[in-house]
Amino acid sequence: MRGGRRLAILALVGAVVLTAAPRAARAHDAPERAGAAALPGSPSPSLAVIGPAPPFTLVDPAGRSVSLADYTGRVVLLSFVYTTCRSACPLVTQRMAVLQRRLREAGLFGSRVGFVSITVDPDRDGAATLARYAKAFGADPRGWTFLRDRPDALRPVLAAWDEWTRPLPGGEIDHPARLYLIDGAGRIREIYSLALFDERQALRDIRALLGRPGP
Amino acid sequence: MTRRTLLLALLAVIATAGAAVAEVCLSPWVKRLAGPEKYLYVYAVDADAKDNDFLAVVDVNLASPTYGRVVNTVDLGSAGNEPHHMGFTDDRTKIWAGTLLSKRLFILDTATDPAKPRIVKTIDDIGAQTGLHGPHTYYALPGRMLITFLSSADGNPPGGLAEFTNDGQLIRVFKNPANAPYAYDVAVKPELNRMITSSFTPLRNYMKPLAQWDMKDGGNTMLVWDFKERKVVQTLVTDPVPLEVRWSLKPGAAYGWTNSALGDSIWFFARTPAGSFTAKKAADLGKGCLPADLRQSPDDRYLYVSCFMRSEIQAWDVSRPDRPRLHDTLVPGVSPNMMHVTMDGKRMYITNSLLSTMDYSGNFWVRLAHIGPDGRLKMDPFFDVDFTKFPTGPARAHDMLLN
Repeated sequence: MRGGRRLAILALVGAVVLTAAPRAARAHDAPERAGAAALPGSPSPSLAVIGPAPPFTLVDPAGRSVSLADYTGRVVLLSFVYTTCRSACPLVTQRMAVLQRRLREAGLFGSRVGFVSITVDPDRDGAATLARYAKAFGADPRGWTFLRDRPDALRPVLAAWDEWTRPLPGGEIDHPARLYLIDGAGRIREIYSLALFDERQALRDIRALLGRPGP
Repeated sequence: MTRRTLLLALLAVIATAGAAVAEVCLSPWVKRLAGPEKYLYVYAVDADAKDNDFLAVVDVNLASPTYGRVVNTVDLGSAGNEPHHMGFTDDRTKIWAGTLLSKRLFILDTATDPAKPRIVKTIDDIGAQTGLHGPHTYYALPGRMLITFLSSADGNPPGGLAEFTNDGQLIRVFKNPANAPYAYDVAVKPELNRMITSSFTPLRNYMKPLAQWDMKDGGNTMLVWDFKERKVVQTLVTDPVPLEVRWSLKPGAAYGWTNSALGDSIWFFARTPAGSFTAKKAADLGKGCLPADLRQSPDDRYLYVSCFMRSEIQAWDVSRPDRPRLHDTLVPGVSPNMMHVTMDGKRMYITNSLLSTMDYSGNFWVRLAHIGPDGRLKMDPFFDVDFTKFPTGPARAHDMLLN
C-alpha cells in the first residue's frame, strides 16, 4: 500500500510537470524561439526498417507468458525500465501514459497498438511490484503489459536488445534507456531515448506506421 | 521516505533531467560520463604513413601516477588510413572511428576496459556499402550512428549521410542534392526537428598537398533538414567552407553558429518567426586564421575557435548570439586544431594536426588549457603529451574523446 501511494504520487508529479513544462518554456522564449510550431516533429516521418525486433517470451505480473509474436499485426512501443529508477524511467512511463490516453481517444489503443514495458531489474521488480507500478501510472491492461522473468531467463532477452545493465551507487541501474517502435511485421522502425522521448512525435510515428497520418 | 521527501526528490529529478547531457558538441543522445574524465582517446595518424595508425589512450585521471602520459595504444592494423574523426554510440560503450584516405572504418569497445579499447569490428570497404567515401562526423542517434561522408565512393561529389545500427548494419543512405553536393558536419536540434549539415571538399581535392588544392572545389552551403523526414527543406549560403555546426545548447533555442574555414569568419544561423532559417556573417576572425574547429562552453556563453594557420585559439563571447565579441586569445603552440571541452566547461584538450596534406609542422602534441569562471583560457604548463616519440616515430594527433 505504501509503495502504491509512492508510485501514485510519482505519476501525479510527472503528469503535473509534463503539463506545466511547455508553459514554463514559453514564458522564457527569446525572440529567436518565437517561430516554434505548436507541435514538434513531423506528421510524415521517414521510418526506415532498422532491423528485425529480437523475439522474446516473458511473464506478466499475473504469471501469463507473453511473446512479442503475440503482437503480430499491431504496432508495439517497447520500453525498458525499472521501478526504483529515479531518473528517466518514471518520466517516460508517464509520457507513455499520456500517449496511451491519446491512442485510446483515437480508438487505436489495444486493438491496433500495444505497449510493452520490460523491467531490467528482475531481482527487485517482482510480480506484485510491477503490478503496483503499472496501476500507479494508469496502465490499461487491455493494451499495456509489464513483463519480467527470472534473471537467467531475462538475461538473453536484454542482451538481444543490447540492454546492458550496470549497478550504480545508491541502487540505481545504468542502462541504455531506449524505447523501440515495432511495426506489425515485427520490424524496428524507430528508436527513442528515454531522456528525449516526446509522446507527441511518437503518436505521429505510430499513425504513420498504421497508415493513418495525423496532425 | 515521507511523502514530502518523495515529492521533493521527484521534483529535483525532473528539474535536472534535461540538463543531463554529455560533453558539449557531442550528440545530445550520447550518455554523459558519471564523473570526471579518466582517459583521453586520441586518434592518431602515423606521420609518414609507413607504420600502422593507432588510437592512443592518455591517462587524464588527476589521481593517477601516470597522469598526462600515453598508457596504451590500439593498433589499427594498417597504414595510410588517415584516421580523422570518431564518435561514441548513444550508450557510450563503443567508438566509431573512420578514415579519410582508406575505406576502413573501425568500431571499438571502450566499455569492457576503458584503459584498453579493442577493435570489435572493421568495415573494410565503407564505399561498397554506402556508395560514399570519407566518413567525417559520427553523430549518435538512439541505437544508431549517423555519419556524414565527404565524397561519393569515387572521391567526387556528392557527399552524403549514412545511418547504421550500433553494431554496424547499414540502414539507409542520403546523398547530397546536386545544387549543394559538398558535405562535412551534422548536428541535430531534436526539439526543433531540424538537422543542419555543412560543406567541405571531396577526396579528389583533399588528398592532394594543400598547395595543389583547388580552392573553388568546396562548398559554401549549409543544408537545413526536416530531421524526422530526413528531407532537405532549405539551403543556406555562407562564406566558403562552413565546417562545424553548433546549435545553441539552450533548450528550444533556434540558432547556432558555424566557422567558415576560407572566409575566416563565424556565421550565425537562426530560425525566423516564419519558420525558415537565415544565415549571416557574425564575426571576422582576422585574415589567415583558417578556423579549423569551433567549440562551445556548456553555458552557451563562449565559442572557441582554433586558428590553424595563426596558431592561436580565440574565445568569443556570444552573450548576444548574433554579435560575438572577442573575449580572449591563447597561443597553445603551433597549428592548434581540434579542441575538446569537458562537460563541466573547465578544461579544453587540444591537438594540432588537421590533415596530413595540410599540416605544416612536424611537432605534434596534445595539450591542455584551463578555462576560468571568467571564460579566460590558460595553458597547463605540466600537461604536454609529446606525439613525436612513439616507437613508430611521430604521429599526427587529431580527434579526441573522453571516458
